[in-house]
Amino acid sequence: MSEGIRYEFAFGTYDDALRMVGVRTAPRYAGTAVSGARIQHFASMVRDPNPSYWDADFARQAWGGLIAPPALLMGWVIPPPWLPSDEPPTPSIAIRVPLPGTTFINASNDVEFPTTILEGDRLHVIEEVVSVSPEKKTRLGTGHFVETCDEFHRADGTLVAINRNTLFRFTPAVQP
Amino acid sequence: MKTYRRLAWEDVTVPTELTEVVDTVDYQRVVMNPGATWDYFPGHFDPEYAQRHGHPTIFVNTMHIAGFVDRIATDWSGPYSRVVRRKVSLLGSFYAGDSMVGRGRVVDKRLETSGENPRHLVDLEIAVFNQREELCCPAELTIELSP
Repeated sequence: MSEGIRYEFAFGTYDDALRMVGVRTAPRYAGTAVSGARIQHFASMVRDPNPSYWDADFARQAWGGLIAPPALLMGWVIPPPWLPSDEPPTPSIAIRVPLPGTTFINASNDVEFPTTILEGDRLHVIEEVVSVSPEKKTRLGTGHFVETCDEFHRADGTLVAINRNTLFRFTPAVQP
Repeated sequence: MKTYRRLAWEDVTVPTELTEVVDTVDYQRVVMNPGATWDYFPGHFDPEYAQRHGHPTIFVNTMHIAGFVDRIATDWSGPYSRVVRRKVSLLGSFYAGDSMVGRGRVVDKRLETSGENPRHLVDLEIAVFNQREELCCPAELTIELSP
């Protein structure tokens, strides 16, 4: 049995991190297909009444099925927090970049959707570290900005999303 | 089948101010973040972790903020539209108990003919403030209207 997903980051130096720039991962597969239950749980959280998420008859006629909320994109390839296997769930490459920072926060996200993602699609993602900034000081603390680019595909190989994300990996300025 | 409003590209006026949307996010809604998105980063469910890392309490994740931005856009453009691009800058966090205040406007509309099929696109700018009028998330969004 796995011990569950951990957000214990890879630690290392800025030079260690730079060695990961340009690395493209092997495809990482969603454990399950896009489902109406998760679509509607997310829409409920955001309180989005869009019938493309809720009205199966309408969504089938308009789109071919319930639409995956675009904002839930990254969630489809996050592994569940525990798996019945010996292998620990693999998190995003962004937090596997070795750096000194003890935590992170997202800084920006820029995503394109060439086509809709529908209920039943099973996605996989290929991730790449695009850049790691030199050390920066912000009001939150000192750390590095890590930019990644993820390409999401469905099972037939169709590119469904290109996701550029930048997070700030840092050590808080105020220690308890 | 229930019918829904269809926004025609020809009827889009530039600029148009969108209706302001205010949504107060309590602890339950923040804790829904890990449940709904599977993002179990502890800053979204563990107040002690959040405080140890410089935050007053738990905060919503990027997917929730992006979902709020999308909701503002498609509330206006209707269900025969879809988000084709969204850029968000995360300048500040929304903590449990905060309100998200979204204000948007239509800034352009374009007929894109370079691809296989022409696309009727509408560009929006949406800014999300907290209840103290601090800008936490400026966003740019492009919507495609179904013909």
